[in-house]
Amino acid sequence: MSIVDPTSRAGIAIANSGAAGTTPRRSRAAIWKSALLDRASLIIPCVMLVALLLVYASLRDGVFTLDELNLDTAAAMTLLLAATGQTIVLLRGGIDLSIGGMISLGTVLAATRFGTDPGQAAAWAFGIVAIGGLVGALNGILITVLRLQPFLVTLATWSILSGAAMIILPTDGGALPSGWTMFGVSSWLGLSSSVWLLALLLVFWFWFKRTRLGIAIRATGSNERSAFLSGVSPIGINIATYGLSGIFAALAALYLTTQTGAGSPTIGKDYILPSVAAAVIGGISLFGGRGGLVGTMIGAFILTLIGNLVFVLEVSSYWQPIVSGIILLIAVLASSIAEKSARRSLS
Amino acid sequence: MTELLNATAITKRYGGITALSRADFSARAGEVHALLGENGAGKSTFIQILAGAVRPDGGTVTLAGSPYRPRNPQEAQQSGISPVFQELSLVPDLTVEENIWFRREPLSAIRTVRARAMREATLELFARHKFPPIRPDQELRRLTLAERQVIEIAKALSRDPQVLILDEATSALGPQETEWLLGLAKGLAEAGRLVIYISHRLGEVRQIADRITVFRNGATVAAYDTHAVDDETIITDMLGRRMDRLYPERKSTASQTVALGLRGFGVDHRLADIDLDLREGEVLGIAGMQGHGQRELFQALFGIGGSRGTVEVWGKPKTIRGPRQALTGRDGLALVPEDRRNHGLLLSKSVRENLTLSVIQRFTRFGITDPKRESALVDEMIATLKIKTGTPEQLAGTLSGGNQQKVIFGKMLLTEARILLLYDPTRGIDVGTKGEIFQLMRDLAAKGYAILFYSSDLAELVHVADRVAVLRNGRLAAILEGEDNSERQILRAALIETRAA
Amino acid sequence: MNIRRHRAILLAYLGMIVLLLLTSVVAPGFLSATHLRSTVVLAAFIGIVALGQTFVIIGGGIDLSVPWVLNSAAVLMTLLANSQDAPLLWIVPVLLAAGALVGMVNGFGVAIFGVPPIIMTLAVNVILQGGILVYTGGAPTSTAPQAIQFLAVGRIGGFPVVLILWIALAAIATFLLSKTAFGRHLYAVGTSATVAEFSGVPALRTTVLAYTLSGFTAALAGMLLTGYTAQAYLGMGDPYLFTSIAAVAIGGASILGGSGHYIGTIAGALVLTILTGLLPALNLSSGALLIVYGAVILVTVSLASEALSGLSAFLPRFGRSRGPSA
Repeated sequence: MSIVDPTSRAGIAIANSGAAGTTPRRSRAAIWKSALLDRASLIIPCVMLVALLLVYASLRDGVFTLDELNLDTAAAMTLLLAATGQTIVLLRGGIDLSIGGMISLGTVLAATRFGTDPGQAAAWAFGIVAIGGLVGALNGILITVLRLQPFLVTLATWSILSGAAMIILPTDGGALPSGWTMFGVSSWLGLSSSVWLLALLLVFWFWFKRTRLGIAIRATGSNERSAFLSGVSPIGINIATYGLSGIFAALAALYLTTQTGAGSPTIGKDYILPSVAAAVIGGISLFGGRGGLVGTMIGAFILTLIGNLVFVLEVSSYWQPIVSGIILLIAVLASSIAEKSARRSLS
Repeated sequence: MTELLNATAITKRYGGITALSRADFSARAGEVHALLGENGAGKSTFIQILAGAVRPDGGTVTLAGSPYRPRNPQEAQQSGISPVFQELSLVPDLTVEENIWFRREPLSAIRTVRARAMREATLELFARHKFPPIRPDQELRRLTLAERQVIEIAKALSRDPQVLILDEATSALGPQETEWLLGLAKGLAEAGRLVIYISHRLGEVRQIADRITVFRNGATVAAYDTHAVDDETIITDMLGRRMDRLYPERKSTASQTVALGLRGFGVDHRLADIDLDLREGEVLGIAGMQGHGQRELFQALFGIGGSRGTVEVWGKPKTIRGPRQALTGRDGLALVPEDRRNHGLLLSKSVRENLTLSVIQRFTRFGITDPKRESALVDEMIATLKIKTGTPEQLAGTLSGGNQQKVIFGKMLLTEARILLLYDPTRGIDVGTKGEIFQLMRDLAAKGYAILFYSSDLAELVHVADRVAVLRNGRLAAILEGEDNSERQILRAALIETRAA
Repeated sequence: MNIRRHRAILLAYLGMIVLLLLTSVVAPGFLSATHLRSTVVLAAFIGIVALGQTFVIIGGGIDLSVPWVLNSAAVLMTLLANSQDAPLLWIVPVLLAAGALVGMVNGFGVAIFGVPPIIMTLAVNVILQGGILVYTGGAPTSTAPQAIQFLAVGRIGGFPVVLILWIALAAIATFLLSKTAFGRHLYAVGTSATVAEFSGVPALRTTVLAYTLSGFTAALAGMLLTGYTAQAYLGMGDPYLFTSIAAVAIGGASILGGSGHYIGTIAGALVLTILTGLLPALNLSSGALLIVYGAVILVTVSLASEALSGLSAFLPRFGRSRGPSA
């Protein structure tokens, strides 16, 4: 006794040889439009950066020179490094507020422990990076084991790290060996050390995103449950993600000291939200799974350029946060509109 | 054929609930073995044990003669058992091939993924099992639900498993993909593998299963060869009682009054020129291949996504731009959505809160809620629909699929809307509850409700709907009724160019 | 009304009592009537800011703009009033409305344009900050009028006015959350905005209302706080971001939304205040204070959530049994 009419298979046979069963076709224009909207999250920040550069160039000569590139990259590098770690965390679908504390702690440790002996300085530099990684790993462990939201856990560890920084060096100060700060202004083949660092970062990213870990981080941010069902270790992925963020925060701290030559227990605070903003402007989705470092870099440059513009326009520097906030909103709104249109034209 | 998988006296308890109570299961290599049972009978738990996600409290499992005790899903996979669950393990932002080879991507010397090797492996897999055409470089979020289910199957097959477990794998598939999957299962069996097939669709089971095991209340109540048993016996064994019929008696209850009239209704390029009349007292079925406009039709009628054309509700034109404009009491439309867990229910809230979610104003005065009136509404609906829940405060997420669906029905019935849009309401629901829902639909129709009903199961449409409107490529291909309302005719209309309805 | 739902809130109050007991051991002078009174008054400020934050968080969002809504209201009030009492009659309502308006903008951005709450409120915060700094040129402002100072530190019949205000607001908040349709809608939207939409819940209106309320309470807190410190200063709102969110979290609300209650937030505000009051007595440096603060947040929020069951993550077996499902 069968419920299905076996002769219905004839219909299926016809279908298998034909085109039926696929979704309706779209026009070429629609395909182009959707391809464009797809990449909107990267196109929008590019357009913004170009626009800003043009405005900047109209107010100042010599904007599109090597010198300017060197200077701007050096100015943006600390934020860039911090934002790299934040990008990895955002791709995982989390957020890391503790980088504020780590950056402060990093500068403070460098300023008080480097001394004058290059060997000691090098050892401590590695040590700071190691601390960043360990603290990050701890963040990851706490998030997994305590089943708390990353926002809350990293809020707490931010407080703890800031406190530690304040105990070690209560006020801005300390000193760094001249060789170290020289690195901050050195150059090779006409490009400043920061530009070379930028290149290194890009190489790292193009490698990392093709590793299993890179793919796993993006996957876990995209759909955590699916990722865990597929064998991703919940605690492993969090340790890796937040550990990397901690490492980059430590690197940001180290770079910052090459520029400032001093330590500060409160400086890190100024990098937390801008690191998120740079990523978001660059197209990273706060939900996880979408976006890349190139976008974040563009976002970091946009934020830095706004600071330059405010300076050149000789208006109160207080205009910088206003413009940054507006740019952030525009970027997000544009992205959101693009995504809605893209979704609508999806079959 | 040698015995491949043997489970004896498997027991599993969750707190006070016994999910499995000394269940037995024995299957051979080279066969398709169906596992049947109502929801709550223990099938899912048993499968999770085989898949290594859960450990049994008692009993033994042997695989090819040796004890089988995986400590986690990865060990189970390595032993050659690949499950395909209803809940997909796919990641929307990765591509199709990235999903298939996730965590097992071929690596280069510097630990990056070898894209070309991955592509070749994907294409080879697709060719070997004659997969429906899907591009490997597409982002998964682009695929329809059916296509995603197909990729989930690809993911399991990519491990070349000894045992493939398909848990309700066809519930998300259209007729074409279903046929492909059934062929695939038979092919695997012929190649000497074991396919364990869980489904509520007896038709499919008959088509491919060699043997059947039936679970009820956590224990094995029967095991037989498919050709040696009839559907009556199977259903009786599943339910523990005779069920008169799966499909209710169908009496014509349609009046001449048009409840919902569509003229030139369309949704961008996916749906066009729909002229349709849904009458009072009628159950109108919607059929068609996956992705041919059904979902757009239902969602647009409920106000989700834009639409063009005219809509008349009970004779009066109505613009519906959102669910709030659809749910306007007696003259409104109510939708029971496809995705009950993500669109229909607040899983972490109580049955009561879910039931009354759409009608808070019914027990609110001056903005203040009245718990007593709310309880009255809740108790009444639980009783009417026979929703199995300990108390109304029980969390909706803990109910079985069938009862969850009943809660969503109750929620919509409380809105008093007399036009119901039911999108695949019996997907993944056990036979017993399915029958109750079909009966409910006919009872409501008899009371004057107008029901628009989509199902991916053609048999349901044929037996429950008065008429069936078939969509093809976003347009109305045919409206079938009476003798023309048959699975064969529906398929013809859905697939081939025919004369207009 | 089952125990599980209220477990988090009960734990918060338990924690508060434990803290009080600890205090009595470590610093006996703390439990005097005067000190308790000032503690509660200080907690009131956090509690008022956290009132709006509670609504926003329950609704599934977060409000990072409270620091500068607070600060803007404070600065604008002192500048406009110029230490006079009379102008307050129009200044206070106008500024409260302005705060509500900023909240509404936040709400629209989140609900209509789909901007993630973190970004929307962050941008608004930063824009307000820049705006006030440009307006004042970074200079400190004049003193607060006497009337406001009375509101902040004065007493009626022995009860601090601020406390009376807090209790009134708490009653309203509790009522809104527990007994109104708005409250039900808010919990639904916070649990799943999609399901709420599919169910005909006025998600837009609910979200906008929650943020509007948050802007209102931040502005109110800003003006009251100015009365307390007798002067508005730049940066006075910054500590209230951390503390408002922490108070809500300690009070048992899920930061993702859909659960929690203002009653819990009250306990959270009290816990935070007792802690900040206690620690200086232990002669800790500001650095050590920060460390303890962070540790306390971790401990209290872990207890409020289902924390330790996460230890199963260390086991090789995947996940925890959820029980038989559909």
